[in-house]
Amino acid sequence: MFLNSVVLILQEILEAALLVSVLMVFSRLDERRPYWLLTALSAGFAGSLLLSLNMANVSEWFDYVGQEVVNASMQYAITLLLALFAFSMSGDRSPGRQRLVTICMVASVAFSLTRESAEVFIYIEGVLSQPSHLQPTLTGAGIGAGIGISVGILLYYSLFWLPRCWITSCCLLLLALIAGNMSSQATLLLTQADWLPPTAILWDSGHWLPENSIPGHLLYALVGYEATPSVLQGVAYAAGIILVALMGWLGSRQRHLKRQPLLADRKED
Amino acid sequence: MSSIRLFLIASILAILTLFNFVAALQGYQASLREAEQLFDNQLYQTAKLIANLHTEQIQTPPSPQNNLAYQVWHNNQLIATSAPSLRQPIIELLPGFDHANFNGYRWRTLVFYDDNHNNWIIVAERSDLRYMLAESVITQAVLPILLGIPLAGLLIWLIVSRGLKPLRDLSEQLKNKQANDLTPIAIPDLKSELKQVNHSINALMRRLGSALDREKRFTADAAHELRTPISALKVQLHNLREEVPQGNEAFAQLEAGVERMQHLVEQLLSLYRSTPEEFSHQMTRLNLYELAQEVIANQHHDFEKCNQLLELEGDNCFVEGDPFALTTLLQNLLSNANKYTPPGGQIRVTTEAVGGHICLKVEDSGPGISPTDYSKVFERFQRLSHIKDVAAVQGCGLGLTIVKHIADLHNARTSIAPSSFDTGTAFIILFPRTPDSHD
Repeated sequence: MFLNSVVLILQEILEAALLVSVLMVFSRLDERRPYWLLTALSAGFAGSLLLSLNMANVSEWFDYVGQEVVNASMQYAITLLLALFAFSMSGDRSPGRQRLVTICMVASVAFSLTRESAEVFIYIEGVLSQPSHLQPTLTGAGIGAGIGISVGILLYYSLFWLPRCWITSCCLLLLALIAGNMSSQATLLLTQADWLPPTAILWDSGHWLPENSIPGHLLYALVGYEATPSVLQGVAYAAGIILVALMGWLGSRQRHLKRQPLLADRKED
Repeated sequence: MSSIRLFLIASILAILTLFNFVAALQGYQASLREAEQLFDNQLYQTAKLIANLHTEQIQTPPSPQNNLAYQVWHNNQLIATSAPSLRQPIIELLPGFDHANFNGYRWRTLVFYDDNHNNWIIVAERSDLRYMLAESVITQAVLPILLGIPLAGLLIWLIVSRGLKPLRDLSEQLKNKQANDLTPIAIPDLKSELKQVNHSINALMRRLGSALDREKRFTADAAHELRTPISALKVQLHNLREEVPQGNEAFAQLEAGVERMQHLVEQLLSLYRSTPEEFSHQMTRLNLYELAQEVIANQHHDFEKCNQLLELEGDNCFVEGDPFALTTLLQNLLSNANKYTPPGGQIRVTTEAVGGHICLKVEDSGPGISPTDYSKVFERFQRLSHIKDVAAVQGCGLGLTIVKHIADLHNARTSIAPSSFDTGTAFIILFPRTPDSHD
């Protein structure tokens, strides 16, 4: 129970901590006050409580695949929000864009927390019904949460050790990986729900790095590692990465194009 | 999140937590393997014990929890078992440890061959109970590490706060310094890392003091050197006026230029005198209404020239202030209103007690200022370009900066609002109210 608890909580916390850390780096670079995080955390915890309390009903939706569909929808929503965030963040600094950046940050963290915390609540609730497992489970949960949050804090500070010009690119790369991970997980859930057709296995690295090993679990949370991903998951992963990278590029290009006439005007003066 | 203290506390605690918890996980896995070994040894000893006992002596199950099962086989015949239902071999008769599933549980098994009696002894122990027992013992050891983290966090917070105290003291001393206080900072028992910082700050203070002294001397010299030739120039212009024909354009422009130069020099001197470093306090209780009356009387001809209606409203209001500085403040506000109000326009000066303040308000019926420009008007050399014919208005853009300086020296709040006329601006100065401010 102890190890299961560590692995499950670590996976859930680490996914959310990574997203929060990267967005907080952007927020600090943009000299934005961290109030957005408080809003996102409150909305996320409220959402997770609501979802976990109604999980029995939600599971019955769509011919008893409601949980998979709802989770996949939230993960696809996070992917799209991150792409929109990359576009708005790389673009100009107009008030409209700034508002969009805040909305994307709050909504993506809130969705991520809703999904991750609901799973943690359901797990803890299940364990509470077995008092003999309570101590190892809670100890494991504490250890998992501690490792996840610590990795998030260290990632946040270590990103600032990079040269200033690399921070944004590295954060965008991390966001792209998170988006790819979300998109791939959502595709797997929809395949499990029979909403998407099963496809061939892309590769099998289970021999080298089993999914249920500690490094396997860590890599799953960090970059969405799967020992036997399907072709569709691979496509979804690549699509998530490309979407965020493309939107970031479009945003910065738009800003560059807007700057050019201004520079031309100055030269004329 | 840019505080040094937060960075140190958060990162030290994160590293401590990460290393401790990963070490605890490693310890857990190693302890689990050790426990497994221990339970296997125990199982082996049980198998040996069963082998040495007569089969009659071991008919009753040895464990009240039913977590142990055994069978004794001789020549493919079951001669003893822990439960009558176990008639089939629990596992294939191959010596060594293995796992088997029966009775709805997973069991750790040991097959032991007894050479003395030619018996096969199979002993099995429930894996889940072994695991639970081992886990409960190990998590008892891990729990203090988990519970220790908040305590470690508290200690780290205390130590980091204590360690950063000299830096905080230095920052506090710098923050509390008056604008004109350039005395060296003295912190007793300064840490070696901060000695150089303190030394550099004090050296900077000394250099700043010298620079300010030089600037003071320069301004005094400049005032003296510039005022005298300008006065001489004005005398010469006055004499020349007799000889130059009336309406000479070049002469008029020369006269206006000299006026502007004199105004600029006077304003620069006022600005310099109203800086906190230069302002010498001669605070006295004075009647703002009477002061406004005096200033209006002195400047009345400027308003008459433009056919502007100037009113003074309100009551006797007393403030603690420097008469010379407040006269300059009023002169600048009135001069500003005079310049930006069209001929025939209205200007109203009001002194009144409002809440906990004494309010001095100068309103005009000029073109007004856009609210987006409110923050700019007190900046040095700022002249708002949206006002029609701004270039034609004589001024150097220092008047309202001087007003702000003087208001700040009197702890007064400066604000701008639309005037009560159809158009125009109201400049509002709120002085702190003293107990006997209002008669």
